[in-house]
Amino acid sequence: MNKTFNQKAWYFVIPVFVLVAFNAVVPLMTVVNYSFQETFGSNVFAWEGTRWFKQILHSERFHASLGRQFIFTFIILLIQLPLGIAIALTMPKKGWGVPVCLILMSMPLLIPWNVVGAMWNIFALPDIGFLGNSLNSLGFDYNFTQQSGDAWFTTILMDVWHWTSLVVLLSYAGLNSIQPAYYQAAEIDGASRWDVFRYIELPKMKKVLTLAILLRFMDSFMIYTEPFVLTGGGPGNATNFLSLDLVKMALGQFDLGPAAAMSLIYFLIVLLICWVFYSLMMKDEGRK
Amino acid sequence: MIFTNLYASSWSTVGQPKEKGLFDFDFITWMAWTWPTASFFIFIALCITGMYFWEKKDPGGNPRRGVLTLDTTRGDRLFISLLSAAFIHLAWLGLTDFNLWIATAISAIFSIIVFRYF
Repeated sequence: MNKTFNQKAWYFVIPVFVLVAFNAVVPLMTVVNYSFQETFGSNVFAWEGTRWFKQILHSERFHASLGRQFIFTFIILLIQLPLGIAIALTMPKKGWGVPVCLILMSMPLLIPWNVVGAMWNIFALPDIGFLGNSLNSLGFDYNFTQQSGDAWFTTILMDVWHWTSLVVLLSYAGLNSIQPAYYQAAEIDGASRWDVFRYIELPKMKKVLTLAILLRFMDSFMIYTEPFVLTGGGPGNATNFLSLDLVKMALGQFDLGPAAAMSLIYFLIVLLICWVFYSLMMKDEGRK
Repeated sequence: MIFTNLYASSWSTVGQPKEKGLFDFDFITWMAWTWPTASFFIFIALCITGMYFWEKKDPGGNPRRGVLTLDTTRGDRLFISLLSAAFIHLAWLGLTDFNLWIATAISAIFSIIVFRYF
């Protein structure tokens, strides 16, 4: 095959490159610089070496918020994936129900994150909120501002409400791309509904589901705005996730050095997990 | 002096005015550059430049299936080496009290293994 080699298209990438350099690379370099120094502001810095990294790696507080973050992300994935697939399976494939379902499903995704937090905060208030008041009048002792279990329950419920639609829409797209011939073949073979799901729909949805896991993992692992507005990390430190803790350290305590070290460790964890996901996704691509 | 600002202050010299070097631009003082961190980024830049010339010399990225049964190109192997170097250093800092250069040596050996077998 005669392929013309022309690398001029790279010039079109230059604007993006400049943009990324200024909004990502330069700040990241600055974070690296800060993570090795102590500062009290006014551009005055003193060299501290690897002290902040040691401090963060040995800090109980960091271990606790990292643990909370992993538990939160794990629960979110455990609920949202099966639920999203189940909803996508029950959604109509044709007729007037399709646009109605699609619009209903996209609604939560369109709401800004801080609005979601504020909505759920008011919705769940134990005295006047609809959810909180109803639960309390049903006899539950529900108060998300004071009981950590309730705070977790509300945060998870909020995230499920906000983001399950993404999994639904992705799974629905995956389901719709399956050729009818597969279903006809399954019918001829006398396959049960479970067999159809297990051997046709699930394998065909593999790619979109990996994408859904990757997106949901990244978003929930970096969640900040919603719990910040809903619980502010409380009660106590119960819902103090990694990003909330990081902001408290950087802006609340003005510990820029330790906060920079913590963000680098955070960044490396996200990078590692995304790389693992990406490699698993791409693993069998080359063979086909 | 050319880059006075790149010499980080220690606690005994913090806040004292430095003699202004030839390339010490005021607009990047907020980035708080130091020689150790600058050399780290220079190293990364050199790696990427090196990869460019390697690609010129031997185009195609030398894709193969390594011991991890992943399809990797040369760039992937550089990424794996750098990422694992970061985690080796972090593990060294978190778990031991020995000199950090040992971790650097381990990372270097590991990246040779990555480039050879992954």
